[in-house]
Amino acid sequence: MKYTLRHTTRYHYAAPVTLCHSEARVLPRKTPHQECGASSLSIAPLPHHQAERRDVFGNRVLYFALEEVHRTLDVTVTTPLNTRALDALPERSAAWERIAARLEADSRFETQLYRLDSPFIRRSDELAAFARRCFTPRRPLIEAALALNAHVHEHFEYDPSFTTLATPLSEVLANRRGVCQDFAHLMIGALRSIGLSARYVSGYLETEPPPGQPRLVGADASHAWLALWVPDWGWLALDPTNGTLAGERHPVLAWGRDYFDVAPLKGVMNGGGHHRLEVEVDVVPLAAPGTT
Amino acid sequence: MTASVTPLPSPTGLVEGYIQQLGNGVPARFDTMLDRQGGLRPGWQDLLNCLDALGEPGRLQQQEEINGLLAENGVIFNMHDDAQRRAWRLDPLPWVIDQSRWHALEAGLAQRTRLFNALYRDIYGPRTLFDEGLLPTQALLASPNFLLPCHGAQPREHTPINYHGVDVILDAEGHWRAIGDRLQTPSGTGFALENRILMARALPQMYRNAPLKRLASFLDTHHRTLTLLAYQHRDNPTVVLLTPGPQSPRYFEHAYLANYLNLTLAEGSDMVARDGQLWLRTLGGLKPVDVVLRHCADADCDPLELKADSALGVPGLLQTARTGGVALSNALGVGVLENAALADFLPALCERLLNEPLLLPAAKPTTLSATLPMFDETLARLTPATFNLRCFVARSSRRAGPSASDDVVVMPGGLCWQGAPGSPSLASPVVKDVWVTASTAQPHISQLKQARGPIVVTRDGEDLPSRVAESLFWLGRYGERLDSRARLLREALLRLMEYDQDEIADQVLDELLLALDIGACETPGDRTPPTGFSAKRCALLAQFDAADPQALQPLFAQLLRNARSVRDHLGDDSWRLVHQLRQQFDTLSPTLAPGGARRACEAVFAQLAAFFGLCNETMPHHYGWRFMEIGRLLDRTLGLLALLKLTLGARFERRAALWEVVLATTDNFTAYRRRYRSELHPAAIIDLLLFDETNPRSVGYLLRRINQQVERLPGSNMPYRNAERRLLIQASAALHLADIERLSQLNDTQEADDALIQLLDALITPLGALSEAIGQSHFSHVERPRQLVSMEPDE
Repeated sequence: MKYTLRHTTRYHYAAPVTLCHSEARVLPRKTPHQECGASSLSIAPLPHHQAERRDVFGNRVLYFALEEVHRTLDVTVTTPLNTRALDALPERSAAWERIAARLEADSRFETQLYRLDSPFIRRSDELAAFARRCFTPRRPLIEAALALNAHVHEHFEYDPSFTTLATPLSEVLANRRGVCQDFAHLMIGALRSIGLSARYVSGYLETEPPPGQPRLVGADASHAWLALWVPDWGWLALDPTNGTLAGERHPVLAWGRDYFDVAPLKGVMNGGGHHRLEVEVDVVPLAAPGTT
Repeated sequence: MTASVTPLPSPTGLVEGYIQQLGNGVPARFDTMLDRQGGLRPGWQDLLNCLDALGEPGRLQQQEEINGLLAENGVIFNMHDDAQRRAWRLDPLPWVIDQSRWHALEAGLAQRTRLFNALYRDIYGPRTLFDEGLLPTQALLASPNFLLPCHGAQPREHTPINYHGVDVILDAEGHWRAIGDRLQTPSGTGFALENRILMARALPQMYRNAPLKRLASFLDTHHRTLTLLAYQHRDNPTVVLLTPGPQSPRYFEHAYLANYLNLTLAEGSDMVARDGQLWLRTLGGLKPVDVVLRHCADADCDPLELKADSALGVPGLLQTARTGGVALSNALGVGVLENAALADFLPALCERLLNEPLLLPAAKPTTLSATLPMFDETLARLTPATFNLRCFVARSSRRAGPSASDDVVVMPGGLCWQGAPGSPSLASPVVKDVWVTASTAQPHISQLKQARGPIVVTRDGEDLPSRVAESLFWLGRYGERLDSRARLLREALLRLMEYDQDEIADQVLDELLLALDIGACETPGDRTPPTGFSAKRCALLAQFDAADPQALQPLFAQLLRNARSVRDHLGDDSWRLVHQLRQQFDTLSPTLAPGGARRACEAVFAQLAAFFGLCNETMPHHYGWRFMEIGRLLDRTLGLLALLKLTLGARFERRAALWEVVLATTDNFTAYRRRYRSELHPAAIIDLLLFDETNPRSVGYLLRRINQQVERLPGSNMPYRNAERRLLIQASAALHLADIERLSQLNDTQEADDALIQLLDALITPLGALSEAIGQSHFSHVERPRQLVSMEPDE
């Protein structure tokens, strides 16, 4: 699929900001299933200083410093990209316990990085018990993971009014509601609590306009899902919010241990007072069927 | 057998006692002083002879000398809360380490630093050691000191570790064993230096010609290597020591080290990252910082990429270091190497990374320490004890840039404290100096370094951090406020003692209580002056109760807070006076008799005068000193004007008594009497206190002095006058244009009274605004930076 992604983050401050150092993770990364064209980036006001680097997860990080007094900050990125369908799932996979045991003995950095506690996700007995609803003894890894993915989709309610960034996983689990970020965190926490390795993926999801209506600009949303490490095969991307695999229609932005590692815009500033945030996302399919 | 060839030196009395304590006359495990046959090891004989010759009384006297030096210097020793007393002692017997044993340790330490540098480069670089199974991946990843943002953050040509603290012990077989590492904030160097200096002062006969290695050249190497880290300004780079500030228990050590190494002591808020460079906020504007010697924990150094709620760091510091805008020593992220889980992996890592066997293996939980003699508390005899030793390794570089090597030097000495292996140094009851023997007596090296390049003379002090200027200003203001309050209190207490009965109503005392804004003690918050002798007595003595917000102690606490935060700008003698003041304040209590309280007040203002006098004599008359002077003069002027206004506002029949108070508290009684005998002419007093510019306590004189100082502040040579100079002109004009003729009829006409009150207001208004104006022009009012998005994970 060919897409043009447009992502705008805009802050309106109640008081002038005199100095702001920021880190933006808004430039999509290349993946085995995704090619990115050159991003066009506009930051207003114009930064005095900016530099791009790769973080430890391989994400593209844009550092910029605003040294002029300003009251609004606008970061807009437009990226053309091309996604490919996922490889076929392996027909068989080993029992999940065997894989968990193998991972425990694996000293590789990447394996353990996505297996231990992270800023927003702490492993717990509660989460392990939740995982075991689907991870029954000796069940093949992929089958169990798909079952858990479907379980979250079926039994949890999408409710943007219920959670914030700070809502603990135990509350999401108890109330069975939340947003895509909570469901991704919940599933990662469950998988890690039984010894598996899973990472958080941030990206986008193309939304279909209602039949007969044009696409609304800015109506699409940032999305989040997760990927489970399947040894000898690769990362299995699961979208528990929709109960599907995350494939061609899920353009990827960045990944990390949890949301903390991939927040689109972080900053430290002097001044500013209260602020209001606007986010606009467009996922425009370039040769989408039915839009001619 | 050497023992059979060389006759054993005759053991001194101290040694005999020690041998008996070890039992059987032979040490059961390795002893640092006695060999297996019970003979003295090399280097101990002269020392023991010297301490033996002193005898118990002599040693006690030396101990007292050391304690006195410790208490007075307070350089790094009152490390915690100022109220907390030092709980440890410095043993007069150093730990002597002979050359061959030292060389073994030195080689092990140097190898360890090389190994850790290689480890850092891999952990924050290609991470191949994880995949090879050579690292405890889970333990490292779980550690809060493994900072993922530091991945790739150290420019390749830079050596990550420039200073390395390693805690070691000598085990029961006499082998060195490592206990742990200090890399983020390698504290203890100042402590080790200070122990050496104090011992050398207290026991000069023992130190003067002793064949021991001196410490100075090690620090000299450290300093040179730091300056060579600079990317720019290589001839004269700015190197700052980053401290968490006076709240840190190590703050005095930071101030001490900054002075010793001649670095600027800076807090995170003193610096800002801009244009890809790190800058120091100084009086002269932003000044580029080339190198930061970090004494802040890794995670605290940058709220942008590391710990978001840290108020100690500089936002953007890591990115600035990453792109070569500043060099950090040590690199951020080194804390991960302090992880104890690494110990078991080091032998294999050393083979893999350096192709060498590990020279300094880790102590195990079961490892026993060697014994070391120390004096008991009475200094009568030596007893065996176990000690930890913190050693310091510094990178030694002679060339800047990519060709810089990883060569290191080891401090020939260290910080030594009593305790089981691995016990914390701060909790130890006894510390020791550490001697590394040399083959010949070592020359003394001056702290002033030999010039190595063209000198850049700096005279104006424009590079003073603005925070320091602000603290000096407030140090001056609080000092003066404390002085004038102590003087008023002294007057009040004198009156109280003279009229110690209810029958005689002393008006002056009532007015003084009013001037001091003192209410009765039984009704806190109520500021109506107390009536009756006992109520007045109680109210006055409440001024010595630390719990009373109006008392002297809170004022002193403010003075002390400001003094501490400029510790590196005050001389040791000045600091000693601050310390004496603190001791004076410790004795204040509301249970003092009025006579004792009066004497305490007098001691306070005498010591304050000594402190500011010494500052005047010893501080360079740069901007910093000027700000302190302005603070003092301004507070003094405002205090005097307030007192005059109070006098004029009082009922007519009470004024006579108040004029007397005014003269007494401004120390003008003698000057006035010499001129006017004992007759009370208010107009004459007004002349003496307002207009007489030869009287150092007059408003006219004070204004002239303030003006002189303000004119010399940075930025004063601008074509236009800044706010503070305009305010001063306003005040001076009011004073100079006053109608003295009319004022001379003071007390005679209401008109004269009104004119004088008008004049006082015309002075108080601009001078009251002066403090704010100076702050606006010169002090950077740094708001604490905030996070754009709060990322508070669930706890």
